[in-house]
Amino acid sequence: MDALLGYVLLGGVLLSMALVLAGLLWRWLNSGQPWLDYQIVGMNLFEFVESGFRTAALGEARPRLLINLGIAVLMLTPYLRVVASMVYFMTVSKNWKYALFTAVVLIVLTYSLFLR
Amino acid sequence: MIPFSLLFTVSILAGFVGAMSGMGGGIVLIPALTLLGVNIKHAIAISILSVIATSSGSASAYVRDHITNLKVGMFLEMFTIVGALVGAGITLASSPRPLFIAFGCVLLGSWVALLAAGHMSWQGSPAQDAVSRWLELEGSYYDQVLGQTIRYTARRAHLGALLMFGAGIIAGLLGIGAGAVKVLIHDLVMGLPPKVSTTTSNLIIGVTALAGTSVYLAAGLINPGLAAPVILGVVFGAFLGTRLLVRLSNKSVRSFFLVVLLVLAVEMMVRGLRGV
Repeated sequence: MDALLGYVLLGGVLLSMALVLAGLLWRWLNSGQPWLDYQIVGMNLFEFVESGFRTAALGEARPRLLINLGIAVLMLTPYLRVVASMVYFMTVSKNWKYALFTAVVLIVLTYSLFLR
Repeated sequence: MIPFSLLFTVSILAGFVGAMSGMGGGIVLIPALTLLGVNIKHAIAISILSVIATSSGSASAYVRDHITNLKVGMFLEMFTIVGALVGAGITLASSPRPLFIAFGCVLLGSWVALLAAGHMSWQGSPAQDAVSRWLELEGSYYDQVLGQTIRYTARRAHLGALLMFGAGIIAGLLGIGAGAVKVLIHDLVMGLPPKVSTTTSNLIIGVTALAGTSVYLAAGLINPGLAAPVILGVVFGAFLGTRLLVRLSNKSVRSFFLVVLLVLAVEMMVRGLRGV
């Protein structure tokens, strides 16, 4: 179990770094410099990811998308870790007290991810 | 516009210093970014995003080694994340100069703490109180250095929780991990062995940083083009820092950081007081 949590964390960080790096390299190859300057205008994580996928589906994938995805993956990494912890408390150790605590954390995090 | 290579290099340095000092990247990153001309709230937002990366990276190793206490972590996380939401909210509403001053104060506090850090060896677990027992806050881990399994219990969970809420506020407010504070709470207040304190803190920091980041994301303060080189740099720097840490003596590392912290503390305070 601990091993799984560890791999979720590590995998998440590595994946997000890879995406961000790929986005920057793509930009560099495209335009000769790895610089982007844009703002994510006050949206929450889910809108952020959703708009990214919509753009990709339209065939307009850009370096920007990769970087946004990288950031989204990074943010979801601890979130996923908490989900995994809750599953563990519920199924493996059947510890309802801690399943509850974990659920509380998850609810607060989900709320914060939906802020706009 | 800030040259990309400069931003990237500064971030690597911040990550490196952060990992070596155990103080986390944010402490160095934010002053550095503001010196480069980044608006402090943007710097805070980017920093707290990078904290997710660095803390998750280091936490992953400890979790796999079974040193982290998941129950202590989950229990305390309930409090830190609310604190982080509050702290980030305060920052959003605040004007820049108080933020500089607050940052300077935290840096000074860290400096004092580092200066005063004697090594209290862990005394073993004294009697546990009823609340902590109900919360099942106990565990054991195999200490490779000592070559034995250490059993421990935590105590004063109620106090720990309250203080963690405060630590969360600091983290969300200033965009840092506030690892030093969290470790102190685990260690001194709750009586956990040092390795468990450090590793469990790391786990908590990641989730706390996420809460803070969501607020800044919603506020539109995250500039991905700016964030990308920074988080890559910080993660890379932290990776290098942890590799190098084992090779350097404690004393030289400590002296170096006392200097860095003091310089940064004074610098931030002055800027806050005189006007950025």
